[in-house]
Amino acid sequence: MSNEVKKKSPPDPNSAKFKLGKIATDAYVDAQAAKDRGEMIGWCSSNFPVEIPETLGLAVCYPENQAAGIAARGGGERLCNISEDDGYSNDICAYARISLAYAKTKDAPEQNMPAPDFLLCCNNICNCMIKWYENLAKDLDIPMIIIDIPFNPDYEVSDAQVAYVKAQFLEAIKQLEELTGKKWTEEKFQEVMEYSGRTSRAWLAATSEAKHTPSPFNGFDLLNHMAVMVTARGKKEAAEAMEVLHKEYLENVETGNSTFRAEEKHRIMFEGIACWPYLRATSTGLKSRGINMVTTIYADAFGFIYDDFDGMVKAYCNVPNAMNLENARDKRVKLIKANHVEGLLVHTNRSCKLWSGFMAEMSRQISAECEIPHVAFDGDQADPRNFSEAQYETRVQGLTEIMESKKGGC
Amino acid sequence: MSDLVESLQAFHKIASSPKEQLKNYLAQDKKVVICAPVYTPEEIVHAMGIIPFGTWGADIEIKEAKTYFPAFICSVMQSVLELGIRGDFEGASAIIIPSLCDSLKCLGENWKSSVENIPFIPMVYPQNRKADFGKAFTKAGYERVIADLEKATGLSFDDAKLKASIEIYNEHNDVMRQLSDCLNDYPEITAVDRNAIFQSAFYLEKSEHTALVKGLISELTKTEKTKSNKIKIVTTGILVDAEDLLKILDDNDIQIVADNVASESRQYHVDAKPAETGLDSLAGKFADMDNCSVLFNVDKAIAQYTVDLVSKYQANGVVFVITKFCDPEEFDYVMIKKACEEKNIPLLLVEIDRQMTNYEQVRTAVETFKEILK
Repeated sequence: MSNEVKKKSPPDPNSAKFKLGKIATDAYVDAQAAKDRGEMIGWCSSNFPVEIPETLGLAVCYPENQAAGIAARGGGERLCNISEDDGYSNDICAYARISLAYAKTKDAPEQNMPAPDFLLCCNNICNCMIKWYENLAKDLDIPMIIIDIPFNPDYEVSDAQVAYVKAQFLEAIKQLEELTGKKWTEEKFQEVMEYSGRTSRAWLAATSEAKHTPSPFNGFDLLNHMAVMVTARGKKEAAEAMEVLHKEYLENVETGNSTFRAEEKHRIMFEGIACWPYLRATSTGLKSRGINMVTTIYADAFGFIYDDFDGMVKAYCNVPNAMNLENARDKRVKLIKANHVEGLLVHTNRSCKLWSGFMAEMSRQISAECEIPHVAFDGDQADPRNFSEAQYETRVQGLTEIMESKKGGC
Repeated sequence: MSDLVESLQAFHKIASSPKEQLKNYLAQDKKVVICAPVYTPEEIVHAMGIIPFGTWGADIEIKEAKTYFPAFICSVMQSVLELGIRGDFEGASAIIIPSLCDSLKCLGENWKSSVENIPFIPMVYPQNRKADFGKAFTKAGYERVIADLEKATGLSFDDAKLKASIEIYNEHNDVMRQLSDCLNDYPEITAVDRNAIFQSAFYLEKSEHTALVKGLISELTKTEKTKSNKIKIVTTGILVDAEDLLKILDDNDIQIVADNVASESRQYHVDAKPAETGLDSLAGKFADMDNCSVLFNVDKAIAQYTVDLVSKYQANGVVFVITKFCDPEEFDYVMIKKACEEKNIPLLLVEIDRQMTNYEQVRTAVETFKEILK
C-alpha cells in the first residue's frame, strides 16, 4: 500500500500544485491587467497554437477553461439555461452554451474574465468550435481569426495538410500584427519554442512515472494540470512548474508516496473530458474501490516536441480529435501497456460528438489488443443534467468486478 | 393519365426506391459509388464513368449502428451506417464521405469497421476555402479521392472528361433552380411532390435527371398558371424529406416557395466556373459556396440570406427544420431567428428525426403557425 501524502494547508508555494495553480489563475489576472493597460486581449480556443499569442506578447483567456471552472463550481446549469432561453438547443456542447451565455451576461461569480477584443479559433478538436466562435464574433462584433486544422482520416499528416495549415499560421500572425500592432520576432519565437519543449518534456516524463506500481500520482491530477499544458506551454513558469512536478513524482517513487490517497488495487485509463460538475463523485467512485486512474490520452497528447516552425505546424495537426481511429487507438494502447493499465473507463460525453462518436469501436479494438475490460458511462463535461451518479456507480462496479475476476479474486 | 401526372409519378417512383435504382445500375454493369453528404465531388465520380449515388440515410429503425454511435449523433449518420451494415449498398465500389461536420468524421471512422466490403474514401475539405492555399488543399483532397477511386474501381481519371461532367452538373444546377422557381406558379404541385423531384436527383445519373426535370417544366408551362391561395413559406435546414411532415404542410395549404435546405437547393446555388483544369474549376466552386451551416462564415451570412429569400419570394414565414443533434444547424438557428425577429418574419422551429413515427406534435405546431400567418 502506498503512503498517503497529507494535504497541506496553506499549500507550499514551492510545490508543483501551487505553481501550476498560480499559472492557471494568473492567466485571468494577466489578461485583465493587459486590458486595463489598454491592450487588446483575446479569447482563444484550447488547441489554437499558443505559440502565436505568446510570441506576439498578447494576453489571451480560454473560454473552455472558464466553462470548466464555472461548471466545477456549480454554475453550469445556470449559464446553460441562459443560452437555452436564447434558442440554443440543449444538445449543443455545454462549454459553448456557458460561454455564449457569459458573453451575453458578462458576469459569472464562479470565474470572470475580461471581455475580448478578438477571437482566436482552431478546430483541431472539433468543428463545433467554429460555430461557437462564429456566434461569439457576431454577438460581440469583434474579429475572429481561424486556423482550420481538418480532421485527418489518414495515419500520417500529409504534406498538403502541412502546407495548408502553415499558410494559415502565417496568415494569422499577419492578421494579429495588423490588428494589435504587436510584432512577431524570430528571437522571441525561439524562446517560446524552447520553453514549450522544456514544458512538454517535463510533462511527458512526469506522466510516464505512472509506469511504477503503485503510481506516484492520482491521475485526476492530470485533468487539472493539462490546462497549463494547453494554454501556457510556452511560458518559462510553466516549464519550471512541470519540472518541479516531475521531481515530486520521482521523489514519490523513491519514498513510496503517492497523491492517490488510497491503496492502489486497480489501475485504469480514463477516456474523455472530466465531468466537472461531478468531479468529487467520479473521483470518489474510483478511490473508494482502490482504483487509480493512472493515465489519460492527455499524458501523450500534450507533449509537443518540435524543432522548428514546420514541426510546430505538424504537431498541431496531430492532436487528439484530429486523428483517425487507428492512430488514436495506437496512442492509447501505448499508454495502457506502458502504465500497466487493467481497465478502460469511457466517458460518453453528451457535449462532445466527435470524441464520443467513434469511441465505442475504438474501445472494442483497445480492449481486444490489450486484453483489458472496458465500460462506458453517460455524462457531460459541464451540464449537470446529463449525468447519473447511480449509473456511474453501477458501471464502475462492473468494471471493478471484471478486473478482480481477471486477477483471480472473487 | 396526363403527361404531367405521369412525369410526377416518375420522380416519386425513383425517390421511393433507391435500392431498386442501385440494382438497375449494377445490372447494367455500371460501377456505383455511394456519395454521403455534403458537397461530395460527384463530378469527379461521374467523369470516371461511375454512377454517383447519393444517400442521406432513410427513415428506418436503427439497430446495428447503435453499437457504433451514441444516441446523440444525428439520425442521418446513424441511418447511413445502418443501411451500409444491413447491405442496402451491396455492389457499390466505395463510399465517399466528406468531413464537414463532427458527426460526418465519425461516420467515416465507424464505416471502416462496420462495412468492410465497401471501402471508405474520405474527402477532406478546408474551411478557409476561399484563399489560394485553401483552394490548393481542396484540390489535393480531390486528387486523393481520384487515387482511391482508381484503386477501388480500376477505372481512370481524365481532366478533359471532368470538364464535360462539370458542364452536365452545371446544367443540372440551372435546371433545379429553374424548377424551384417554376413550381411557385403551380401551387397544385405539393410539398410531397417537390421533395420527390429533389430527392430523386440523388439516385439518377445527372443528365437523366436533368432530362426528367426539363420534361416536367415543359409539361407545367403548357398548363395555365394557377393563382395561389396557399400560405407561402421558405424552408431551411439540413433535411426536409419526411413524408409525414410534408403532408402536414400540404394538409394546411402551405406552399414551399423557396428553400435553403442542404439536401435540396443548397447543392445547386453555385456553378463551377471555367478554369485551367477541371479540378481547379471544382476547387473554385467549393470556394464560392456559402450560406450553409457546415461552411465557415464569420458574418453568419446565412441569416441575411434567409431573410432575403423571404423577401424575394414574398413568403409569409420561415419553417426551420432541425434534424435532431445537428449542432451546426442548432447554432445557426439562433442567428436566423434573430434576423427574422428583426424583420418581423414569423418563424417556426420543427425538430425532426429519422426515427420519428408520430408527427402529431408537429401538426399542432404547423396549425398554430398557419393561424399566425393568416
